Amino acid sequence: MDRIRTFVEEQFLIEFDETFPEDSNLFMEGVMDSFGYVQLCRFLEQEYEIRFTEEEMTGNVLTSLAQIKKYITAKIAAKTT
Amino acid sequence: MCGIAGLVNPDQPVDHLPETVSGMLMAIGHRGPDGLGYVLEDRFAMGAVRLAILDPQAGIQPLSDPSGRYWLCYNGEIYNYRELRSELEAAGSVFQTRCDTEVVLQAWLAWGSNCLSRFNGGFAFALYDRHEQRLVLARDRYGKRPLFYTRHGNTLLFASEMKAFLAVPGFSFEQAPEQLAAIYAQWTPLPEQTGFKGIKNLPVGAWLTFQNGIVEQHTYYRLNFESNIQLQSEEEALERIRETLSQSVSLRLRSDVEVGTYLSGGVDSAIISSLANTLSPHTLSTFSVAFEDKEFDESIEQRLVAEQLGSRHYVQTISHSDIVESCPDAVYHAEVPAFRSAFIPMFLLSKRTREAGIKVVLSGEGADEAFLGYDLFKETMLRGAWADLTNAEKSTRLKQLYPHLAHYGDQDNAAMMGLYQQFSTEHMPGLFSHELRFQNGRFSARLIKGDHAGDPFAEISALVAGDSEFQAMSPVEKAQWLEYKTLLPGYLLSTQGERMGLAHGVENRCPFLDPQVIELAAATNLKFDDGFREKRLLREAFRGALPASVVDKRKFPYRAPDAVAFAAAPPDYLDLIRSDAELDKIPFLNRTFAKRLTEKVLNTPVGEISTKENQTFLFLLTTALLHHFFVARESGPLVLSTGVRPPVQRVVDLRIGAKD
Repeated sequence: MDRIRTFVEEQFLIEFDETFPEDSNLFMEGVMDSFGYVQLCRFLEQEYEIRFTEEEMTGNVLTSLAQIKKYITAKIAAKTT
Repeated sequence: MCGIAGLVNPDQPVDHLPETVSGMLMAIGHRGPDGLGYVLEDRFAMGAVRLAILDPQAGIQPLSDPSGRYWLCYNGEIYNYRELRSELEAAGSVFQTRCDTEVVLQAWLAWGSNCLSRFNGGFAFALYDRHEQRLVLARDRYGKRPLFYTRHGNTLLFASEMKAFLAVPGFSFEQAPEQLAAIYAQWTPLPEQTGFKGIKNLPVGAWLTFQNGIVEQHTYYRLNFESNIQLQSEEEALERIRETLSQSVSLRLRSDVEVGTYLSGGVDSAIISSLANTLSPHTLSTFSVAFEDKEFDESIEQRLVAEQLGSRHYVQTISHSDIVESCPDAVYHAEVPAFRSAFIPMFLLSKRTREAGIKVVLSGEGADEAFLGYDLFKETMLRGAWADLTNAEKSTRLKQLYPHLAHYGDQDNAAMMGLYQQFSTEHMPGLFSHELRFQNGRFSARLIKGDHAGDPFAEISALVAGDSEFQAMSPVEKAQWLEYKTLLPGYLLSTQGERMGLAHGVENRCPFLDPQVIELAAATNLKFDDGFREKRLLREAFRGALPASVVDKRKFPYRAPDAVAFAAAPPDYLDLIRSDAELDKIPFLNRTFAKRLTEKVLNTPVGEISTKENQTFLFLLTTALLHHFFVARESGPLVLSTGVRPPVQRVVDLRIGAKD
């Protein structure tokens, strides 16, 4: 999961710390843009060999690093069970 | 077209006024290489540099009424000046010249500020009443011509370009970080913003008075999209579009010198060129920017149109190194930070145009705003309808919207749906249409340290909240309104438009910015289709006159190589944003972020650099260059950057307090 954090930090030129915690809404904080969001989705799909469905994407799943980690963990678990 | 500059209520000794006012005018001499003139007395000094287009002999400025009470310095063109003149003559006004400058003066004397809403054109002027000791500054309704002003002690300074203030003794420029954050966030300045503390641009559609040390600002035109035009059928709409645009082009061909056109390769400038070709007495000269980097190049369509018209076609081919070499000069002329590099080729194109002997061109600006050409309008409609659509419909609509963007392929549709989900409700009151764009802007605004930035959207939020007409508009009209208030005057007409043209004494005129064209567009938009084929009626109206591949070409945003041009061969001046010592001179910049960003864009393969990174890099670089030129004044004799020294044609000295 650290790879996701590193990707987000490099992609959006930010550093998560106490002033910018992992549950910050990346849209509202002005971190995420359209191209970056698409790149993030591609990265997650490739890195974890998963596929997002259109239904999932309209369900507010990828708005903060904390949410992304939680969602990916669940998605991987679902894949292996 | 000209440049104007002056000062009222001077703090300096009257002996110094000639040097100050002529210095201010020389600093904008590129705007009017044909002549310089000024008038001065103890309480004011002002003048103009002139690009002679109408009545080259008699139109020398400044101009006064026969009594010598009123003095006018005027920049621009009133295209309906002949009609206004006839009306004024019928009411008893007597004219000495054939020039529209005199029409402006007489119209003000006859009708007062009511004259402003009757002017069809691009203009900015200063009118001084010696009897009342009152200055009036006024500007056109869409922002074709600029007019900056500032208080300097007890003095009011004004000029067509801020660089004129460099010549005022004791004046210093200081960048305003909270304004810069807003500019980065919005892409462009708001109507009054300039990026410099204390300097304002007179808003479009406004005029002000300065009397007894007090500035009072008034609005004579409020943008709206109401229309009294009733159209029964699409056929009728197409006919009206052809007629109205033809009239608009015809008015803008009024000139005593030859008028050419800028041909971008898109449908808008092709329409204008085609009409100009039909209506002009000359063989049309067309001017185009081509790119060595084929990603940006539209020369195939440009050539097709030029061949069909039989025009004398001039092509300025731009390489990466052209962008890099001309960037500092172009930024000096632009005066405000820019979010892309596309204005730089226009600096070189105007040079080419001037060398070809043309000093007036028509161009296609304003079509996308009037006839809903931008993806932004479709995005707004889709996001607005989002909650009511099924997932299948959302998916289909998105694919229709972005077929041209390589990085939004089929595999990315799910991601785009997630993105749209985030932006399907309004988070910023009144700004729904622009929230996706502003998201990139928030990233750029991080260039300003947090304690200097404030809320970059505070001012634009207040602007829309305070406009009752805006509040009553539909979501798409709000999007149009915002485009007319931000990108159009704040970048397209200024940084990419007239500032680049006039750097080399070339005036551009925009037939799509005629009030009648805009009213007609308001009457046709979304009446005969759903708006998802952008500018459909405009295309259909001119299908018979242009090559089919141009008529049917999808909107291809005019862009130029951004960071990639600088990465290919980094110029020395990039030190301004790479070295700690240089960055430290601009204390409000977030140095860590600025350096990380710069190194990333200069060292990352071009396909992996995002739009927001490119735009943030351009904002950073242009801000640093502006600091270098205007704040630190670290470069040579910039007041003569294009080396233009207009000949002095008229000096009217009315001083009584001068020693000699």
